[in-house]
Amino acid sequence: MQWQAISDTALRFCCWDDEFVVYNIHSGDTHLLGSMAAQILLKLQQSPSDVATLTGLFTHLPLFEMKDELPLQIEHILADLNRLELITRS
Amino acid sequence: MNVSSLTSSELASRLSNAGIHLQTGSFITHLQTAIPSVAEGIGLLYSDYPLVEEGGFADFHVDLIPPRNLRRWFKPQVLFLSDGAPPFKPLPLDQAFPLFEWGLNWCVSSHANNYLIIHSAVVEKNGYAAILPAPPGSGKSTLCAALVNRGWRLLSDELTLVRVSDGKIIPLPRPVSLKNQSIDIIQQYEPGAIFSRKVSDTMKGTVAHMKPPSDSIFRAAETAQIAWVIFPKYQAGSAARLEPLPQSRAFMRVADNAFNYSLLGTEGFETMARLIDASLCYDFTYSVLDEAIETFAALKPPTSPT
Repeated sequence: MQWQAISDTALRFCCWDDEFVVYNIHSGDTHLLGSMAAQILLKLQQSPSDVATLTGLFTHLPLFEMKDELPLQIEHILADLNRLELITRS
Repeated sequence: MNVSSLTSSELASRLSNAGIHLQTGSFITHLQTAIPSVAEGIGLLYSDYPLVEEGGFADFHVDLIPPRNLRRWFKPQVLFLSDGAPPFKPLPLDQAFPLFEWGLNWCVSSHANNYLIIHSAVVEKNGYAAILPAPPGSGKSTLCAALVNRGWRLLSDELTLVRVSDGKIIPLPRPVSLKNQSIDIIQQYEPGAIFSRKVSDTMKGTVAHMKPPSDSIFRAAETAQIAWVIFPKYQAGSAARLEPLPQSRAFMRVADNAFNYSLLGTEGFETMARLIDASLCYDFTYSVLDEAIETFAALKPPTSPT
């Protein structure tokens, strides 16, 4: 399943340390996102992607020793971003 | 010409006839009322404020009048009118002066949308401003009153105005609203401070307003650069403790305390982002005012250019 950001122009980002504040011009809502969720959202703004592609963004990180759980974690994040109406199915 | 140029009887007469054009920060309020306690409060707390030419432009047209209902015969009330319309229900007549203060806050927070307006005290020293957003009961106004009696300039005790065009903090120095025990605490902390008389049984408990230092009023046209966002919390028995707060978290909390963040849309987000970007952000717990003053005196402004 492919996902995409709601728009490539409707989201504004601010980043401090490893957290992002995202503003949705369409809804007027502001969201606080962790680094991983924000990277996924930024990637989906560039092009639609599926979980496998998104998993590739993070496999190099030493943080993720349990890489087997990464796709599931990304699915949870996608569900959250979808619930926040920041992404849609492509 | 300042309010103090008028005698008490001249002020009362002007207020009950043509009204006065009172300048507070960048706003002019045309105020008309025949209620003596409002004239008394204006004469006491606004004596250093400029009066602007009669009949000129005013941002807000305010009347305080007794409503024409049967209650006026046995429980007199006061009604706040903005441009001839009442935004609130009437209150007991005894609360007329606090109602003027609350009503004027409403006028600014409801209309001044060329500013991002944050429900927050804001003080300045050496050109750097600290904003103190916090919910009621956090000790925000008490701390603000103490700071302005120890060398900090009052920009506002209630409404931080962030100019959308350049992110500067615009002063709106008006009387500091204190309630319940905070009134006695500040009266003891600064015996020379001038207070309106206490009004009890308001929706906030007992309230009184403190006159801002004259210097803050005279410098009301001087903008300030944001340097710190500090969320104060009074906690009995606690030592003064300043804890760094991630800017992203501060953003969300300040946005929650802003009146018109959503209304301003993208401009609100960008103004807030610039404000937070230029600030060091902290949670601050305190119980002793002198310790709080010391903590604020030791604050260092952000090192990077803003």
